[in-house]
Amino acid sequence: MNVKVENKERIRMVLPVGLGPECLKEEWCLEILPRKSKVLTFWDTFEWGIWFGERVLFSCGNVYHLCARDNNGWLGPVQCEEEAVGRRRFWGEFETPSMREILEGLLGLRGLAPVAEGIFGLRQCELRNDMGKIVCRIEWTTVSTGEHEEDVLLRYCQVMPLLGYEFESTRVVELLTLRGARLSGDGPLDILLHHSNHLPQKYTLRPSFGLTRDTPAREAVSRVVRTVLAIATRNVPGIIEDLDTEFLHDYRICLRKIRSVLSLVKDVFPREATHRLRRLLGELARETNRLRDLDVYLLARDEYRGMLPPELRKCLDGMFDDFSAERECEMRRTASRMQKRAHLRLIQELEDFFRVDARHEHSPAADLPVGLLVYQCIYKRYKKIRKIAAGFGVETPDEMVHQLRIEGKKLRYLMEFFSELIPREDTAEAQKLLRRLQGRLGDFNDASVQQKSLLSYWNQNKHGSEVAFGLGGLISILYHRQQQARERIKHELDEFCGGSTASAFKRSFRLPVSDPGTNAS
Amino acid sequence: MKIISSYSIKGGVGKTALAVNLAYALCEAGYRTLLVDLDPQGAAAFYFRVDSAEKFRMRDTQSLVDGLRKNIRESDFPGLDIIPSNIAYRHFDILLDGMKRRRKQLRKVLEEFTPDYDIILMDCPPNITLLSENIFRASDAILVPIIPTVLSQRTLDQLVGFFRDEGMPGDMLRPFFSMAQKNNKMHRNIMDELPMTYPGFLKSVIPFSVDVEKMGLHRKPLLAYSASCAAAKAYRALCEEIISSPDPGHD
Repeated sequence: MNVKVENKERIRMVLPVGLGPECLKEEWCLEILPRKSKVLTFWDTFEWGIWFGERVLFSCGNVYHLCARDNNGWLGPVQCEEEAVGRRRFWGEFETPSMREILEGLLGLRGLAPVAEGIFGLRQCELRNDMGKIVCRIEWTTVSTGEHEEDVLLRYCQVMPLLGYEFESTRVVELLTLRGARLSGDGPLDILLHHSNHLPQKYTLRPSFGLTRDTPAREAVSRVVRTVLAIATRNVPGIIEDLDTEFLHDYRICLRKIRSVLSLVKDVFPREATHRLRRLLGELARETNRLRDLDVYLLARDEYRGMLPPELRKCLDGMFDDFSAERECEMRRTASRMQKRAHLRLIQELEDFFRVDARHEHSPAADLPVGLLVYQCIYKRYKKIRKIAAGFGVETPDEMVHQLRIEGKKLRYLMEFFSELIPREDTAEAQKLLRRLQGRLGDFNDASVQQKSLLSYWNQNKHGSEVAFGLGGLISILYHRQQQARERIKHELDEFCGGSTASAFKRSFRLPVSDPGTNAS
Repeated sequence: MKIISSYSIKGGVGKTALAVNLAYALCEAGYRTLLVDLDPQGAAAFYFRVDSAEKFRMRDTQSLVDGLRKNIRESDFPGLDIIPSNIAYRHFDILLDGMKRRRKQLRKVLEEFTPDYDIILMDCPPNITLLSENIFRASDAILVPIIPTVLSQRTLDQLVGFFRDEGMPGDMLRPFFSMAQKNNKMHRNIMDELPMTYPGFLKSVIPFSVDVEKMGLHRKPLLAYSASCAAAKAYRALCEEIISSPDPGHD
C-alpha cells in the first residue's frame, strides 16, 4: 500500500516483533534519544460513560488527560489536562472548567475507577540527512503489562513529518511497510482491555426481553425477572466498594421492579410462592432504606443550602456532618451484610426460582399469552388512576396523593417491562404524559418525605437555635414546594386522564369481551 | 501577524545573526515564526542546515506565493520554519518592477501566510533596491544593527533620510547596537550619544562575541548551543523588548 505524505499529520504504524529504528540506518543518520517509560492508568465508570462518549481519560503520574478516542482504541488529541493531588473520582472533584464541563456530561453521578493500566515505553528518534538536518521524527512505543519482553502487547510507531520534507516521511513509511508494519490495527486501550477481559458494555435499566404477545405469561415473567435480577446483582460489587451512589440506587430500582411485576401480573406463579418472594424482595430492599435516604440527603446538600439565605446556610453544616458520619457506618454495615451467606442465599433463592429449567405448580395464568394479561392489567391500572383523579382537588389528603403515585408507578412499570408488546406510535403521547405526571407526583413525594425526615432529625438530635433556624427555613420551603407540586399534579392529571389519552388507552388496551382468559388482574 | 525585517545597507554588522537568533528566541517564546531569507547569500538558511530553495517561476503575485510556500522548510526547532534563499531572488526587482503597485506587492504576498504564522522575520539583502523598498513597506518594524562607529552613524543617517524622502514613517526603524565592545571607548561614547538623536533606538545591546561566530561551525542558532552566554542573553532581551513594544508586538 503506497502512502504519500502530504501534510504534517502523524502516521501511525503497528509494528511486528523485532522491527526497530535500526532498519532506517542505511538511508539516514539516526539519533535515538534515551528510552522513557511511563505508566498510564485509564479511567471510566461502571457505565463506560467516557468510552461511549468517544473519549479516553487517563492519568500519568499526577496529571489527568482527557482526549478523543479514535477508532479501535487509539488515543486522539488531548483536549484538556489537569494536575491533581490525590485521586479524582467524580466530575465535581476536577478543577479545570473545561475538564469539569466535559466530564459532567459523561459521568453524571457516576464515579471513576481504573479500567486498564499499561506501561508505555517511548523512544524518540530523529532522522538526519547528509547536512545533519532533521528530516523526520519517529516515536517508537511499546505497550506492556510488565518489564519482560513477553509482557509486550503492542508495538507501534508514529512517523512525524516535517514540513518541506514529505518525501523523506513517505520513504520512511514505505521502508517500514516493506518490513511488515501496518497502518491499521487495535490501539493500546483496546489491547489492554482485551488483555484484562474488561470490555466496555452498554448498561441499561430498561433492557429488552425478547417477548411477543403470545409468549406464555410464566415464561415471560421469568425472563423479565431473570434479566432484571442480573442487573441488580451486577451492581452489588459497586455498592460494596462504594464507588458511587448509583449502584445502590439501581439495585433498589431493580428489586422494586421485580416485586412490582410479580404483583401486577397475578396468578402466573403459585400465590404462596409469589408472596414469599415479594416478602424476600421487600426485606432485601428494606436493608438498604436508610443508606439510600442518607445518599439522597447528601446529594441534595448544595441544593438545600442554596434554598436558604447565605447567613443561614451554615446552620445546616452540623446536620450534614451527622448524615455523613451516619452514612459511613451504614455503608460499612450494608457492605458487610451483602457479603454474608444469609444475603447470598436469598439472592440464590431468587435466581433458582426463576431459572429457565425451574419447575413450579400450575397456576391459572401461567400459560396464557402474556400480551393478553398485560393489556388487561394496563387498562385496569389506567382506569384506577382515572377514578382517583376524578376526585382530586386542593383538599385531597396527602395519603391519596401517595396512593396515586404508587398506582402511576405500577402502570409505568407495566408499560416499561412490556414495551415490546405495546404499539409505540399509539401510546407515545400517553407515556409522555404519564412520565410528566410521575415527575410531579415524585416532586410532591420528595418534598413530603424530606420534611418528615428533617423533623425526625430535629426530634432525635435536639440541637440549638441555630440549627432550628436552618431546619425551620428548609422545612418551610419544602412545604411550599409540596403545595406547588400539588397544583401541578392537578394539571397533569387532567391531561393524562383527559379525552384523547383515555381514547388512546381504550383503543390500545381495552380487549373485546369475547377474549378468552381468566380475569388475571 | 507581524512582519519584522533585519536590515542594513552595510554587510557584516550582524544582520543575519540577528535574524537567526531572533527567530529562535521568538519560537522559544511561543510564537509561530517564519524566517524568510531574502539575501541571495543564503546565510540564514545555512545556519539552519536548510538547502537552497528550489527554483520557481516568478510570473506574478500568485506564482510568488506558491513558489515561496512550496519552499517552506520546518527547522529542527518546532514552531520555526524557514524559506531559504535562492540565487534567483536576484530577479525580484525585475518582477516587482513589472507589477502594479510595485512598492507594495511583497506585503500582499506575505499576508497570504497570515493563518499559519504569528511573526514573519525577513533577513534582507544589504542594498537599497525596489525589493528593499517593498521590504520596508511590508514591515511593521525594521531592525537595524549598528556597530557603534562613526561610519555606522552616517549609514543610519542615510537610511533615515531615505525614509523621509520616500514618505515612509521613521518610527518603523528600530536601530540597536550590534557587535558592541564595552572596553572600546569610541563604542561607549557612540552608545551614549546616538540614542539621543534617534528615539527609536532599542535598549538591548548585542555584544561582540566569538560565540556568535561559531554559529557557522555549529550550524545552529547561538541560543541553541550556548544559551547562557552574554550574547545569547542579549538576543533574548532584544526579543523581549520587541515583543513588548507597541509595534511590533503580539496581537
